[in-house]
Amino acid sequence: MPYLGGEETVRELKRALSNPNVQAEPLRYRNTVLRVVRAMSQGVNVSGLFSEMVKACATVDVVQKKLVYMFLCSYASLNPELSLLVINTLRKDCQDPNPMVRSLALRNMSNLRLPSLVEYVEQPLTAGLRDRAACVRRVAVLGWAKLYNLQPGSDIDAAVVNELYSLLRDPDPVVMVNCLRALDEILKEEGGVVINKPITHHLLNRMKECDVWGQCEVLRVLQRYRPQSDDELFDILSLLDASLVSPHPPVMAATLSLFLSLCADLPAVSLAALERVSGPLLAACGSGSREMRFTALCHIQLLMRSVPGLMGPHFKRFFCGYAEPAYIKQRKMQIMVELVNDENVSMLLDELKGYCTDVNTDTAQAAIQAIGHIGRSYSDRCLEILTGLLGLKQDHITSAVVQTLRDLVWVCPQCSDTVCSALEGCEETLQDSQGRQALLWLLGVYGDGVSSAPYTLEAFIDGVKSEVSLGVKMELLTATMRLFLTRPAETQDMLGRLLHYCIEEETDMCVRDLGLLYYHLLKCGIEETRNVLQGRRSDPSLGVLIGRPAQPISQWACSFNTLEPLKKGGTVTQTASRGSPEHEASKPKTAVELPETLDCSHIHTDPPDSASTGQRSDSAAELPAASLTLSLSPTLSPEEFERRWLQRCSLQSEEAAEESSDFLQTEERICCSAVLQRSPQTLQAAMQLVNIQTLAFTPPSTLPWRVFFYTHTAGTPASTLILGELLYAGEADPAPKDEEEEERKADGEAAAEDLTGRKDRQVEVKVTLKQQPKDEEAVRAFLSVLSTVLHTLSSERHDEHAATHL
Amino acid sequence: MSASAIFVLDLKGKVLICRNYKGDVDMAEIDHFIPLLMQQEEEGMICPVITRGTVHFMWIKHSNLYLVATTNKNSNASLVYSFLYKLVEVFTEYFKELEEESIQDNFVVVYELLDELMDFGFPQTTDSKILQEYITQEGTKLEVTKTKVPTTVTNAVSWRSEGIKYKKNEVFIDVIESINVLVNANGSVMSSDIVGSIKLKTMLSGMPELRLGLNDRVLFSLTGRDKGKTVMMEDVKFHQCVRLSRFDSDRTISFIPPDGESELMSYRINTHVKPLIWIESVIEKFSHSRVEIMVKAKGQFKKQSVANNVEIRVPVPSDADSPKFKTSTGSAKYVPEKDLVLWTIKSFPGGKEFLMRAHFGLPSVEKDELEVFFLMSIDFFVRYMKIIEKSGYQALPWVRYITQSGDYQLRTNA
Repeated sequence: MPYLGGEETVRELKRALSNPNVQAEPLRYRNTVLRVVRAMSQGVNVSGLFSEMVKACATVDVVQKKLVYMFLCSYASLNPELSLLVINTLRKDCQDPNPMVRSLALRNMSNLRLPSLVEYVEQPLTAGLRDRAACVRRVAVLGWAKLYNLQPGSDIDAAVVNELYSLLRDPDPVVMVNCLRALDEILKEEGGVVINKPITHHLLNRMKECDVWGQCEVLRVLQRYRPQSDDELFDILSLLDASLVSPHPPVMAATLSLFLSLCADLPAVSLAALERVSGPLLAACGSGSREMRFTALCHIQLLMRSVPGLMGPHFKRFFCGYAEPAYIKQRKMQIMVELVNDENVSMLLDELKGYCTDVNTDTAQAAIQAIGHIGRSYSDRCLEILTGLLGLKQDHITSAVVQTLRDLVWVCPQCSDTVCSALEGCEETLQDSQGRQALLWLLGVYGDGVSSAPYTLEAFIDGVKSEVSLGVKMELLTATMRLFLTRPAETQDMLGRLLHYCIEEETDMCVRDLGLLYYHLLKCGIEETRNVLQGRRSDPSLGVLIGRPAQPISQWACSFNTLEPLKKGGTVTQTASRGSPEHEASKPKTAVELPETLDCSHIHTDPPDSASTGQRSDSAAELPAASLTLSLSPTLSPEEFERRWLQRCSLQSEEAAEESSDFLQTEERICCSAVLQRSPQTLQAAMQLVNIQTLAFTPPSTLPWRVFFYTHTAGTPASTLILGELLYAGEADPAPKDEEEEERKADGEAAAEDLTGRKDRQVEVKVTLKQQPKDEEAVRAFLSVLSTVLHTLSSERHDEHAATHL
Repeated sequence: MSASAIFVLDLKGKVLICRNYKGDVDMAEIDHFIPLLMQQEEEGMICPVITRGTVHFMWIKHSNLYLVATTNKNSNASLVYSFLYKLVEVFTEYFKELEEESIQDNFVVVYELLDELMDFGFPQTTDSKILQEYITQEGTKLEVTKTKVPTTVTNAVSWRSEGIKYKKNEVFIDVIESINVLVNANGSVMSSDIVGSIKLKTMLSGMPELRLGLNDRVLFSLTGRDKGKTVMMEDVKFHQCVRLSRFDSDRTISFIPPDGESELMSYRINTHVKPLIWIESVIEKFSHSRVEIMVKAKGQFKKQSVANNVEIRVPVPSDADSPKFKTSTGSAKYVPEKDLVLWTIKSFPGGKEFLMRAHFGLPSVEKDELEVFFLMSIDFFVRYMKIIEKSGYQALPWVRYITQSGDYQLRTNA
């Protein structure tokens, strides 16, 4: 930093330092040195005083020594030759009777960071290792680390390494810990300090003497040790148990980290450890310092990747306080979204609703997005809150709500009616381009449900000349085109005007190109346009109630207790609207990207799992679908599905008959091997190809394995709704319940056999179908479709097996 | 751990003092810190870690200072933050107030401390009691030969030095509890807990051995006397002087106390606390440009008790102006820099009810959380304190209970 009169000051100080009168008076001399250091910390370049300061270090005054040494260390690299002069004084100080002076000299000698001086430093450092004062040994040990850090490639002196290893048994705990640190630095190339059994046990026994920093260091180093037997492992674990619940968050975290690395092969023990730390971690979330709270929250998120339900009972601890900073609130909200279940959903939503009006607009928007995220499973309640928020008429809230609604509708198409009715009047409060783009997208895609859609678009089109946002203009074009397809009479005139403006007047290439493209598309005929523009309106597959699959602990164990979880990308951000290609397309784009975005925003033929599309679409084509048309609309929400499914169950048990007039329930077995080991995503993608929507899965390779799905059959005599369940109970099925009891018993033998030879044997999956109204023809046709899909999946599995065997 | 360098900056980002421990991060990197922080602040996305290229800045803010640690490794974040807070703690014990001025006035001591606290990026001696023995502000006085080696640097009992002498031997015990309550708009308590700490001020000679008895429920169930008023403690945290092995086996808190002031233990009690002061608020809107907020506060505690220095903070929109207040007791004022109305009541007797009315011009959104700060007292007590010293002198223990409100929030419907 420039300092006015800097040169003047330096000259004046130089005069004072070399003045023999000043040097004669210790107090004046020291005050002058003090002024030099003060000037240095104020950013004045005082490097010119180096030679005068070298002289000033020959003093008996310890404070002056400290100041001079600090000065010298800061400027040594600029004056390597002159620094040589200091070495003498420093070496003399290393012989001082006062251990404080010895340690001071040694520390500064190693802090000079001049490779040319290394040879002079080695001897005092060696002597320092054997000093009788612990404080000198502490410094000497780290001094060696500094030397090797200075010359990374240099040869390692085996004698020093041995000495350091033997100092691990030093009576002073800090010397011991410093030895670990130094050896780690010196032996970096070889993987750090070697931890064998005696050292481990020694360290574990000495750990109690160390302070917090020392304990963390020891725990970190011990991660390298692999116990030789299970007995030894459990001995170590029980020794560490106390520090696992240590009230010092760093110690607790370091212990957990060590537990996880020791028990990498014992998932049950690791899980128990995670359970045990949840208390101290929650305590850390309430600690006085915001940064510690933030760190704890980030680490909780990490743990929840493996044990999603870990914090379930403590969800109230994540409620935000009014005065908490935004970064803590947002992490807390992310955790709250993960913790939602049937019991706490209303409470969590009430809480989140409170944050929607937060003073900080980012927090408010994050809260709205969090509600939208919960809406994927509890759509009705969330929609009520979201539409209620529109009434506040605040631009940032409305914008976030409209964007959230757009994301929600994409995932849960059953919400569309509510969303459409909520959209009226939003355009008045929307200010930012993101929000307006979301509104336009919704108006384009669901324009048939919003009566005022053409008028809203007309207002946008009238103002298009003054519109600055490129994204809004692009979205406006597409939305108007789409609305034209559904409501041509009302939109034709304004579409003409818009196209005219875009092609004739617009200066931006992207908008003009898009306008031209649409113009030519319309010339090709209305059917062509429809094919291009009316793609999928939604992708319910993203909203399937799988929950996030629990990750193995090993995936994050290495980043635990480091900086990584704190960084933005370190955890899954719930705010990013995942998956929807439409939304990506609504971001501002450059001309080069245009064809690409067009491609993905308007033609939705690719299922999510596009890698396997080729094969599967072939098999889908072979299906006997001609006799039967399946369709996904009207969509069924998970709640609705559950209601209907359970309603059928109760009906069933009351009447004890398998059929009522308008309702049919059948059970069937389909032999298909290894479908169980398929990932839910694959199964889902396959089912969607034939228009069967899967709603819920159990995680793969759990028993009983279940999949719930539904579809509509269209055609003669009437369209019907089919609800279905795939069940593989297996052997380890615990107490079966209600109506499926008998079937499961019968299943028993087969299942037992299946488990033993599950890999390549045929597995019988039980299919329970409920249909309304009754249409046996359709059910039979549907069953054949379903079994084909399952067989196709199984045979693919076989192929893979064959491939791996080859 | 490995922090590469530690910086103390003022609010404008000027480096007040810095110490380069490892030399593997360019010291000039710090110039980017404040611009990055400002940028994050504008985007509303402030984060305690700022990354620029390979350099990470981990920072905390204390009064008008930023304390920043830089590192280029994936180091242990919680340890770095603990260290930064330790710095604050040590500096505060030295200078009472840690702020820009005290750093500048004492920069020699700060340099000395930074030198001792950390070496090569690793924390070394961080106990301020020990540090105070060989780094003193009186260091500015000239001592020609300072040959006395502080015993504590190598001592077995690192927190207390030998040969302390007092004329009158006394121990002061302060039980300080703060209540955290969150009450939602319909009056139900969402979460509540008590965070407490026991502070000691020891003025005892020699190496005394102290034993402290508390009415912890764990303690009672072990001795089989599970009667009376007991409380369950969680997250108990002790000073390093407490013998944890003794505590684990028979729940006695025995220790050799550090000399002078120290925090012996801290704990959390997770109980259902009735909000001691109940707040109701009504917000009335007259036309678009005027609003009246009425706040009613009621003391829900014993008539004989008095809460002192009650502060009720009512958040108001940032665009509020021309405030007018009417209070039945105490005084209210508008704090525009924090966007709130501060209503202070010097003494608030139990069972009483007070009113405050505030008029504002032109607020837009209504915020609906109130914060209350007050001092009062509750149900946790020290049963005994035994002092054992070889010389067998007489010593007096003094106990005092203080209750503060911690994070005390009542939400109201606007």
